[in-house]
Amino acid sequence: MAEETFLDDNFLRQLMSVGEVDLLVGIPSHNDAKTISQTVITIEESFQHNFGRDRVVIVNVDGGSRDGTSDVVLNTQTPKNPNSRGLSSLRTLHRIATRYANQPSRGAAFRAILAAADLLRAKACAIVSPETSNFTAAWVKSLLQPAYRENFDFVAPLYSRHKQEGLLARNLVYPMSRAAFGQRIRELNSGELGFSGRLAGHCLNLDVWREETVRTSPEAWMAVTAISSGFRCCQSFLGPKVHSLTSSGGDIVTAVRQAVGTLFWCLEHQQSFWMGRTGSESVPTFGPEHELTSEPVRVNRKRIFDLFLSGAAELSGVLKSILTPETHAELQRIATQDDRKFHYNDELWVRTVCEFAASYHHAAIDRDHLIQALVPLYRGRIYSFLQEHHDSSPEDIEAHSENLCLEFERQKPYLIERWKANE
Amino acid sequence: MAASPDTLWYKDAIIYQLHVRTFCDSNGDGIGDFPGLMQKLDYLQELGVNAIWLLPFFPSPLRDDGYDISNYTAVHPSYGLLEDFKAFLAAAHDRGMRIIIELVLNHTSDQHSWFQESRSSRENPKRDWYVWSETDNHYRGVRIIFVDTEMSNWAWDPLSKSYYWHRFFSHQPDLNYDNPAVFEAMWGVMKFWLEIGVDGFRLDAVPYLVEREGTSCENLPETHAIIRDLRKRVDQEYPGKMLLAEANQWPSDVCSYFGDADEFHMAFHFPLMPRMFMSVQLEDRKPIVEILEQTPQIPDSCQWCLFLRNHDELTLEMVTDIERDYMYDEYAKDKGMRLNLGIRRRLSPMMENDRWRVQLLNGLLMSMPGTPIIYYGDEIGMGDNVYLGDRNGVRTPMQWNGGWNAGFSGADPERLYSPLISNPVYGYQAINVESQRRSQHSLLSWMKRIIHVRKTSRVLSRGSIEFLKPSNHRVLAYVRQLGEEKILVVNNLSKSAQAVELDLRRYKGSIPIEMFGGNLFPRIGDLYYLLTLGPYQFFWFRLRRI
Repeated sequence: MAEETFLDDNFLRQLMSVGEVDLLVGIPSHNDAKTISQTVITIEESFQHNFGRDRVVIVNVDGGSRDGTSDVVLNTQTPKNPNSRGLSSLRTLHRIATRYANQPSRGAAFRAILAAADLLRAKACAIVSPETSNFTAAWVKSLLQPAYRENFDFVAPLYSRHKQEGLLARNLVYPMSRAAFGQRIRELNSGELGFSGRLAGHCLNLDVWREETVRTSPEAWMAVTAISSGFRCCQSFLGPKVHSLTSSGGDIVTAVRQAVGTLFWCLEHQQSFWMGRTGSESVPTFGPEHELTSEPVRVNRKRIFDLFLSGAAELSGVLKSILTPETHAELQRIATQDDRKFHYNDELWVRTVCEFAASYHHAAIDRDHLIQALVPLYRGRIYSFLQEHHDSSPEDIEAHSENLCLEFERQKPYLIERWKANE
Repeated sequence: MAASPDTLWYKDAIIYQLHVRTFCDSNGDGIGDFPGLMQKLDYLQELGVNAIWLLPFFPSPLRDDGYDISNYTAVHPSYGLLEDFKAFLAAAHDRGMRIIIELVLNHTSDQHSWFQESRSSRENPKRDWYVWSETDNHYRGVRIIFVDTEMSNWAWDPLSKSYYWHRFFSHQPDLNYDNPAVFEAMWGVMKFWLEIGVDGFRLDAVPYLVEREGTSCENLPETHAIIRDLRKRVDQEYPGKMLLAEANQWPSDVCSYFGDADEFHMAFHFPLMPRMFMSVQLEDRKPIVEILEQTPQIPDSCQWCLFLRNHDELTLEMVTDIERDYMYDEYAKDKGMRLNLGIRRRLSPMMENDRWRVQLLNGLLMSMPGTPIIYYGDEIGMGDNVYLGDRNGVRTPMQWNGGWNAGFSGADPERLYSPLISNPVYGYQAINVESQRRSQHSLLSWMKRIIHVRKTSRVLSRGSIEFLKPSNHRVLAYVRQLGEEKILVVNNLSKSAQAVELDLRRYKGSIPIEMFGGNLFPRIGDLYYLLTLGPYQFFWFRLRRI
């Protein structure tokens, strides 16, 4: 055994009491007492309406909340249906809770949920976020149903997004993961996902749980693991996603470190899988393929551009050690452009990202520093994107995104070339 | 041995339900009769039951298995004479068995002389004994019970050119209890049988006695007043006799039929029955606990009647739509198994002949608060025949042995009132009393044992119930208590082995003694009491402080 058990006896006792289940919904939490009650009610509403005959459990895995989050999970009263003479669901709707540590770690929470799924022999599972304020019973169904009824192993969510939302996914994570791993899964880093018991057991048994990347951002790792291990993947449309007011959100540096760091880490660990693949294929999707909205949103583009310029200048030395001279020079050139004429085109952006990935592989510098060095360039790319698409329709944006994806696929040989350089 | 004079005898009863026609044919006409039944009393005594509930045996055109009575004070000629009944009654009493008969208060057969007179002319003195109307517009919205066969609760009588009211089949016109003469006539019927010596009545279709415009015509105060009057007369003139209500209603509605201990002594707990089946299939105690926790307290002298299966379809009226769909899908996949709002199957086939599940359900039946009823043939695991019409598939001849006509009758097989069950699994060659008598490990022997154990303590028949709620929901555990005597019941509802930790600290110091084997289990201490149970296993422990 690699290490001591990470499941405490009390949690194990709760699992024994629940016994085998068909469906499991996990809720990682940390100080979510204000919102998690509604999450629990919504999940149970879905259980009753959509899975009335199935054995179900909600597993709350808490990262040391000080506001009694787990107590709220266990004690929330489900509203009774006045038309059923006080008789509620057909079966017992189980709720169990455990605390995995005194520090929040999504990886540790995932691991406990996967362990619960494995031990309870759950057929289909979902993980949902208590911070999503517009979470509905339909989401639970959409996440569970493909794994439960359609024999899929990984269910990625699809959201209705504003055209200026999800830019990191649109400009980097989705097109690069699609080009590398060959499957068109749009959301790799989401608080909601579904998966089969088979995939849960597979992931649980991988010796990766002490890796920092998996500890901080297990969602994308799980998706890539599913793709690279031959599990059946699909997407399921959920609708718009709104974070609760208590949600901390996240700054751009953290987002890039997590999302790009995880993606690069996955490239590193799955190179034997993706090196030989070309092109990409769509995955089955339940509901609309994508949905963009275009209500006006205020974005301080000037500030983004200034941060790009200052970052690129400050990190020029670092960027030199990461990028090829040609790419570095081209970046220097565009950085001198007037903000109104500034354009960080697809070809250069993809080349930049590929060179960062290769440098990550070669560990040219400390990998975390390397990822952080990408942040100002990402700001430049975002500024360019926002400038270009200020008045674009959702269809135009979608068409551009597809071109970017194809550019990533076109430059994949370049990525491999850079990857293999010096070997 | 004479029947016990204890006026609460019905609380300790273990009732065996049978139809004379189905049990034993003494004269070779293919139909069971009272002399035949009398021959089998030793068997019932050996089984351990101490009360017999007889389905209707009165003269009848038999269009509803005898519930369409054409003469209340005689015996159907196919079943013998009134003298045969009296001899049977005496023989049963000699063995300490009580006899409960049916009384169909609500309606008669349309062949009954009362109805024939009533329809004969509008001036006939008995015209007002039934509910007549010039239109079929009264009592609109009242539900139809036999939805598979009846379109309306009114039927047109071409003879008297008016409509008559019927809650059941159209050949069963409802009596009019607004007419005091009807009540007195029915009291006369009851007195007739009480004088002969019967011990109780199962009153059929009780909620429907009185009709009032703008109501559901069920459970009306006027109906309760009639029951109270009957009860008062029974108590005054025939103390110790028992009235059992058939009211297929929710517990809160049925409870009103106990009144202040001045209406029925007993009533069926209809909603519990399907939930026992549901719990075993779901492997979850929730349906049982939920319905029993919703069941109001009843007066001390009253008692619930519990059953698994009976002569009717397994009724699913007292369940939610979701629960009904579940029951259909799990227990009646073949649409031919469904009838009205129910399932026309016997216990063993519903359990797919799984001995452990059959035993678990009988264990629940015998340990829940109430008087258990065993439907004839279920003690040996008889099968059913869903290809026979109506509910006849669960009313086939009793299987006594593997010989000619299963030992039921000497008649030619073609003459039997019903074909025998003859398939390889449940046929009389495989499932019969004689073969099961020969094995100590047969279902029949097991049934004798559990009945015997149940009768060793009044806790199970009269005690209170308190649910323990261990975190393992597949385990249903409760403590029955009467005075200082306590019995702990632990049931594994699951098809797999289960561990359960019971919070028994309030019984600290007690020694659990397993009631079937008499073995001691570790004394209860400060810690949660750990038990492991095999698939569908259950334990009954007497908790003794020594």
